[in-house]
Amino acid sequence: MKKKLIIATGAAMMVAAGVMANAQRDAIVAGLAAEAGVSSFSAEAGRALFLSQNTGGKAATPSCTSCHTNNPQAQGRTRVGKVIEPMAVSANPERYTDPEKVAKWFRRNCTSVLGRECTAEEKGNFLAFMMSQ
Amino acid sequence: MTDTQTPTIPVWDKFIRAFHWALVIGVSTAAVSGFLLRPTWINLHIWAGVTATALLLARVLWGIWGSKNARFSGFIKGPREVLAHMKELRAGKAARHLGHNPLGALMIIALLGTVFLLMLTGMTGLGGVFKTGPLGFASTFSIGSYTLSVHKVLAIFLLVLIGLHIAGAIFEGMRTKENLVKSMVTGKKESREGDHDLAEVPAHPIWATLAFGVLMGGLVWLWLFLSALPPFGVPAPVPNATYADECSACHIAYPPSLLPAKNWGSLMVTLDDHFGEDASLGQAATDEITTWLFENAADSVDTKPAHVFSRTNPEAPLAITETPFWKNTHRNIPDSVFTRPPIYDNGNCVACHSDAESGAFYPANISIPKETTP
Repeated sequence: MKKKLIIATGAAMMVAAGVMANAQRDAIVAGLAAEAGVSSFSAEAGRALFLSQNTGGKAATPSCTSCHTNNPQAQGRTRVGKVIEPMAVSANPERYTDPEKVAKWFRRNCTSVLGRECTAEEKGNFLAFMMSQ
Repeated sequence: MTDTQTPTIPVWDKFIRAFHWALVIGVSTAAVSGFLLRPTWINLHIWAGVTATALLLARVLWGIWGSKNARFSGFIKGPREVLAHMKELRAGKAARHLGHNPLGALMIIALLGTVFLLMLTGMTGLGGVFKTGPLGFASTFSIGSYTLSVHKVLAIFLLVLIGLHIAGAIFEGMRTKENLVKSMVTGKKESREGDHDLAEVPAHPIWATLAFGVLMGGLVWLWLFLSALPPFGVPAPVPNATYADECSACHIAYPPSLLPAKNWGSLMVTLDDHFGEDASLGQAATDEITTWLFENAADSVDTKPAHVFSRTNPEAPLAITETPFWKNTHRNIPDSVFTRPPIYDNGNCVACHSDAESGAFYPANISIPKETTP
């Protein structure tokens, strides 16, 4: 009985955390949509950005996949061997819930890979792709 | 039993024989681990040295309370008698000594003394350079490095002495037509006409054992007590959560003691091009991390890594892996080892140095992992 209660409470908390995480992500996406002046984002365009090979950025990181691998659900690895948790929301529900963190990593990684900051639309498309995965 | 005609008499007591061969094992282990094995064997080397030192203490006590041929008062001779013995040797009429002859006695003192000095210099070096052991609290890196050079010279000197000791035993054995190595196993020698023998004295094994127990107990206590004192020049930085979060998001949390403040300063203002990536941070985080790095930088730390990595490569002043020391100590490891999983990169110190994030980099804590599937 007690065990069942604990399991039920645990499950309820997980659902609640998931709902909250979704709300935080939705707020970030909504912010980007307002900034970009669009009503929705394209997961397909996000996918293309994620897989694109570039020359404008730093030599060691021509693509997002240089560190994150081609599979958003898999762990990636930094150039010095540290594990990067999966990018796909389905594999890592904590992703894209902290607006500051999202802004920081977009800023850094877009300059590393593209040699420039990403537009709000690119960021929105990227998030749409990761949330669809 | 084999030779019933010539009477044999006991010369080397059980302790002397056990001591002799135990010291052979102890010194050989120390020599092999010190000269031939990789630095990862440092703990074996230390324990061989500690064992040799304990044997030395027992030998000194037995030199006071042991049997007649073990006693220093019996075999240590003044310069006049040593010279007289050498003169007799040259003239080919030196009498046989059942115990140590005057020259052999000098060798015993030289061997024991050198082992003692090796222990002192080793312990001071261990304390100063590796900040461990009973002198870690007192010895500085510069004292430690200096005494380690002396330690190396003494070690070679001991090998020379051992060579002379063996040569002396062979020479004396040929001269007196006996197997001295065998005597050091059986303890017996033939008794011959005209031998120099010492007056009988009663051995006091109980006193020697008691003294050994008390002194060893005291030394072990002192060793443990001193070893537990905080090491000299190794401040324990108050961990900084921002540093841990931000910097070790991509790489290991490099201890701030690995670079001087000047180099950390340059690194923190070039984060937008940080080893080929944009690692820029907000101003508040940058300032907080910079302050913390400055407070704990190599300049105020006396560890070996803090000293050796402070000599940076002018071409790449921010890369520890470009320093002359790093390149030299890793020169025998093929590049393919660094790039294979689970290491991936030579900047991933902790893959092989399990204590890297503490800044200690103790040699015994090195273990190159086998290749894994990523």
